[in-house]
Amino acid sequence: MGKTIQAELPERLMEDAQALVDNGWAGSVNELLAEALRRYLESHRDDLAERFIRDDVEWGLRGQD
Amino acid sequence: MGKTESSGQTVVVADAGPLIHLDELGAIDVLADFTRVLVPVTVWDEVNRHRPDALRLPFLEKLDAPPPGHELHAIGRLYTLHHGEWQALALCAQFPGSRLLTDDTAARLAAKALNIAASGTIGILLRAMRCGRHDKTQTLALLKAIPAQSSLHIRASLLEQIIAEVSAQ
Repeated sequence: MGKTIQAELPERLMEDAQALVDNGWAGSVNELLAEALRRYLESHRDDLAERFIRDDVEWGLRGQD
Repeated sequence: MGKTESSGQTVVVADAGPLIHLDELGAIDVLADFTRVLVPVTVWDEVNRHRPDALRLPFLEKLDAPPPGHELHAIGRLYTLHHGEWQALALCAQFPGSRLLTDDTAARLAAKALNIAASGTIGILLRAMRCGRHDKTQTLALLKAIPAQSSLHIRASLLEQIIAEVSAQ
């Protein structure tokens, strides 16, 4: 069961989202928003951010350039 | 302000995050140790809106980015990059061997997929110590100032680990 939320989004963003639905690239705006949020969360995970910072420490302290 | 003796031949392309975070910490000078610091137009405009002082140093080069190639276009969409991040990666592709400076996880993932080296604010601060621009005391003070003085987000316990590692150097 999904959770209903209320959000204010830019009009142009919603028009683009609706166009994707109308052209058959997404089942509904709800599905599209959930997919967009899922992709965003996948690429901004805590563990990834931490791994990159540890890479930073390695390069910063022991890098060659 | 001259370059320190151990500076390499590194061209870097800056995203907005490190410029803003380093300026918040009063440490934007550490970028002087890179051979060239390129700032895409969109990033420049973004920083200029939020933190214009970060752009005051003369070695920052404002550059137009080329249009993204097919690979970057696909990866940029996949990782929902902002326009400035697209431009920064496009500039990196134009300057082979250059390094992207960003604190954005998605931009770093995209850079990895494109085989572009990337570093964030903390790496840049530690590199300044390695290059001799800052000593250990200065570097530790900057690291400790991050939570209160900058908008860079980092888990407190991770920052403590980094401070301990630098202290042990």
